[in-house]
Amino acid sequence: MAQDRPGEVSRKTFLGIVTGGIVAAIGAVVGATGLAYFASPAFKSESEDWVDIGPASAIKHGVPTKVDFTQRRRDAWDVIEQRSSAWVVTSNGADFTAFDPRCTHLGCPYRWDADKKEFLCPCHGGVFNEQGQVVAGPPPRPLDRYFVKVEKGRLLIRPLVKRAIA
Amino acid sequence: MSASNDGGPRGWLYERTGVDRVWDALFARKVPEAQGWVSWLYTLGSATLFVFVLQAVTGTLLAMNYVPSPDHAYDSVRYINTSVVMGHYLRGLHHWGASAMVVLVGLHMLRTYFMGAYKYPREGTWMIGVLLLVVVIGFGFTGYLLPWDQKAYWATMVGTNIAGQTPFIGPYLKKIFRGGPEMGAATMTRFYALHVLVLPAIVGALIMGHLFLVVWHGISEPPTRAADADAEKEPGR
Repeated sequence: MAQDRPGEVSRKTFLGIVTGGIVAAIGAVVGATGLAYFASPAFKSESEDWVDIGPASAIKHGVPTKVDFTQRRRDAWDVIEQRSSAWVVTSNGADFTAFDPRCTHLGCPYRWDADKKEFLCPCHGGVFNEQGQVVAGPPPRPLDRYFVKVEKGRLLIRPLVKRAIA
Repeated sequence: MSASNDGGPRGWLYERTGVDRVWDALFARKVPEAQGWVSWLYTLGSATLFVFVLQAVTGTLLAMNYVPSPDHAYDSVRYINTSVVMGHYLRGLHHWGASAMVVLVGLHMLRTYFMGAYKYPREGTWMIGVLLLVVVIGFGFTGYLLPWDQKAYWATMVGTNIAGQTPFIGPYLKKIFRGGPEMGAATMTRFYALHVLVLPAIVGALIMGHLFLVVWHGISEPPTRAADADAEKEPGR
């Protein structure tokens, strides 16, 4: 490129700067727009929907009960019906706990053994007590829990959101 | 200019890749001088290239949220328009960019024709350009179906029926376009694959060839009035 004399900007240099500026401006608009479009899922929060899983009175005190339910939810442009279930435990009919029905070891479905009063996983012999704590076997952590609440006698849970173990 | 003597990372890069000489060949080459509005006609090729890049970027982003299937296409396009951040804007760019492509390649071809810029030694550039025109129309035709609204459906119905009028091979051609005897899911996946895989590969190769020849031959001069010949025909001047 031609050397500019001191204090002067040549036509070529000026046009180069203008062209570079326009390219940068267009690139910034398209780039920022594209990045917002591409990265916006990072700022989407999980579904907040509470799912009605039936009357609270259906859960016998002290007997863990498996509740099956169908969840209708949006999946991007689609609405899907997802069948899932939860183990619901209550000792007094007022405070409820809902466990994810998958063993925390490798995700097998476990069952309640009424005689031993323990949750047993058939796959690798994981054993949990009524509070979901590991009693025996390979599971690395207690059973995962869902948020659960009672409203007007109906049990509501949020099956997508795991609750941190207190 | 010998930038190879530069110290530092720039000189290091130039010495090993020669990008400085590539840059000079592409952007510091001599172009003919044109006066007035005629000089704007020389921007049509670059404008087409710019819009093409824009189509590639926006199209890639749209493909991240689009499903080429009759039961999801319309909903996924609506999802892009209503739920994805900046989705409406990016789809708008792709939509208008598609029309701009066709307009720009048309004008670019007219300018090349009326200035006689297709003549020796630039016939190869012209022939590749004709192929590029066909590919751009192919992009337009296949992309038009993808929103799967009424306009898309019936336009493709008409378009494939026109292909069906071809003598002898028409009925087969129509079924090849549609992926079967009826328009439906197989038509959409077929058009989508053409739109995002086949045509981009072809257009990429053709653009490289076209641009190489543009740089290789240089840009043609604007046609000028030959003084002697015109003086003979118009004695008054």
